[in-house]
Amino acid sequence: MFRNQYDTDVTVWSPQGRLHQVEYAMEAVKQGGASLGLRSGSHVVLAALKRAPNEMSAPQKKIFKLDSNMGVAIAGLTADARSLAKYMRTECLNHKYVYGTTMQASRLVLDLADMHQRTTQSYVRRPYGVGMLVAAHDQTGPHLFQTCPSGNYFEYVAMAIGARSQSAKTYLEKHFEDFENCDLDELVKHALKALSGCVTGDKELDANGLTLAIVGKDKVFESLEGEQLQPYMDAIELEGNAAQPMDEGDGEEKAPAPDAGMA
Amino acid sequence: MLCHSAAGPARGAGHATAAMDGTRQHTSQPIVTGTSVLGIKYKDGVMLAADTLASYGSLARYKNVERLKPVGECTLIGASGEYSDFQHIMETLEDYHQYDVNMDDGFERSPAEIYNLLRTIMYNRRNKFNPLWNYLLIAGCKKDGTAFLGSVDHIGTCYEDNILATGFGGHLALPILRKKWRPDLEEGEARALLEDCMRVLFYRDCRALNRIQIAKATAEGTVVSDAYKVDTEWSLASFSQPKAGQDTDGSW
Amino acid sequence: MSSTGAGYDLSATTFSPDGKIFQVEYATKAVENSGTAMGVRCKDGVLLAVEKLLISKMLVAGSNRRVHGVSKHVGMAVAGLSADARQIVYRGRDEVAGYIENYGSQMPPSMLADRLAQYVHYFTLHGSLRPFGASVLVAGYDVELKKHELYVVEPSGVMYRYFGAAVGKGRQAAKTEMEKLKFDDMTCKEAMKQVCKILHVLHDEAKDKPFELEMSWVCEESGWKYQAVPQAQVKEAEEWAKESIESDEMDDDED
Repeated sequence: MFRNQYDTDVTVWSPQGRLHQVEYAMEAVKQGGASLGLRSGSHVVLAALKRAPNEMSAPQKKIFKLDSNMGVAIAGLTADARSLAKYMRTECLNHKYVYGTTMQASRLVLDLADMHQRTTQSYVRRPYGVGMLVAAHDQTGPHLFQTCPSGNYFEYVAMAIGARSQSAKTYLEKHFEDFENCDLDELVKHALKALSGCVTGDKELDANGLTLAIVGKDKVFESLEGEQLQPYMDAIELEGNAAQPMDEGDGEEKAPAPDAGMA
Repeated sequence: MLCHSAAGPARGAGHATAAMDGTRQHTSQPIVTGTSVLGIKYKDGVMLAADTLASYGSLARYKNVERLKPVGECTLIGASGEYSDFQHIMETLEDYHQYDVNMDDGFERSPAEIYNLLRTIMYNRRNKFNPLWNYLLIAGCKKDGTAFLGSVDHIGTCYEDNILATGFGGHLALPILRKKWRPDLEEGEARALLEDCMRVLFYRDCRALNRIQIAKATAEGTVVSDAYKVDTEWSLASFSQPKAGQDTDGSW
Repeated sequence: MSSTGAGYDLSATTFSPDGKIFQVEYATKAVENSGTAMGVRCKDGVLLAVEKLLISKMLVAGSNRRVHGVSKHVGMAVAGLSADARQIVYRGRDEVAGYIENYGSQMPPSMLADRLAQYVHYFTLHGSLRPFGASVLVAGYDVELKKHELYVVEPSGVMYRYFGAAVGKGRQAAKTEMEKLKFDDMTCKEAMKQVCKILHVLHDEAKDKPFELEMSWVCEESGWKYQAVPQAQVKEAEEWAKESIESDEMDDDED
């Protein structure tokens, strides 16, 4: 990292018009284990690599259910993600009480992005060090959003975040135009193929090393783990053409630091 | 002003008086009031009717007020009870609608959601012992043609049905509607039925007026008619032959 | 670039010896790196146009608007950090909603721009805050005076009324092009084509990321309501602009 006198406070602009503290918070997202999401005309799939901080612990949670129609996959500081997920769940419940319906994802994501933004403009709080992929099926159809510590948010057809996510992104960019008409099984397979590029060099993706979630039209949010994923894993092994891990020296990507509460 | 929390705006102080012993009393009765609102579903959607009178006690104080109002593209509100509270409710709903417009994300609150929102607001206010003194009908039709008709009162009771009436309408119009209503009413039949009910209400409800509005919500959107007079016939035998002096209570 | 300044540039509460507040100038830099936003005041309304740079081809078309509705008669186009800009838009919405609640009529755009400037200015006064890295163009119709106006609010908290304004990366080139045209004699529809052309000319396809063009207006045709320009009309203007650029290039080749 490049140290300079403008990089220790969120409230200080650099002469180039950049906010280094915010950029460093974005860096925390890149250190977290990879997460990705993709959507068809009817469904959204989230997938993430599970990482355990040491041999004896269970892996940290990567995908959080928010409501019957919505969930989020994260990369970055898990503790930050948990408090933001709690906020989002509360918003969803409040909405259900007031309107009797599930919340529009775009509006929840906007509120979430504003929460991020507020931390970047005042001295009292640090930015959140987590990137989120929000998957939802609401009254305007299936959606996939990404939020950043900067308070920016985007709506994507497919996106990957976290360590070594570049190869997944490359895979998704190559195939995303086909996603619209994919059925759910094909979509899940695309997710797994894309994710297999994010695994650390010498290992291979296996059903126990990842977590996956589905939400869609007439399909409530559901997480799949371990054995439930094995049929899909077998299928992609047969089909081949999964994303390949990139070189370790791949520019922006850094080796993960799994002991720092990163997931 | 719309606060961005999901709980929604908490606006309007309401009337409050403080007594010497420190107790407080909020609104305990409406002052300027509108009488019945009627609502029925029909073949193409849903239709509301109300007269244009706001009474000050028994005085026919304001004779040209609108008690049927559109909210956004597909919802109608009809209000009986305190007129100022209704105006306040409409301002609140306008704020919510402007928020939807500003969001520009292709989503607008559906009639059912506005109904649920009003229920939350009314129930919340009553729990603070400071109710908005209205009995509201919420009617609407989504683009796919599903019609909605529901009512919310000043204590937050909510209820949905194919035919609804507030106030005196509950006693005088509902029996007629129950007898004559069917789900496949044509628009003209629905209007005629509501006009019949409004006429009966004008005959028998002393806070009613013969100047009415009809509003409809269909898949195409909402329309609120201009105010017009319903015909009356006062030469009917039961009106022209006073019962006073005979061995009855003297009423019609 | 302004001389970086020896510890005088680390807080918005610090003046440099020659009377500058560097932090505000640095915040302005964030706006200058953003995709261009333009506003023009025509004879029949105000038009806003934004060059929305796309960071990925997987983005959903039409997402992440950079023009925002504020009230029935007012809208904004933003440049700079879009997350910062949103806060200014929200403040605008709260201001107009508060005005309607209190006075029962629409807030004049001049007053709105003034209030926004005050809000933005506040963030230049405190060490615990930072100035906004965003500028906003405010297009509005004054219902009382029956006038349409365009304002720009800058990170320093100053506000000016304009006949034509541009902020962001291509602002200099855009201003030069705008000065050649008489928008005051044009209708919004005519201006739309010219604005499209300017944005396409100053967008360097080789160097810059691809972009979506976003336009909105408050004009006679829209019943003085603020609204997005219908997609079909944007398309039409863009096609005209591209053809016009091509024929200009052909002319150049012939010379």
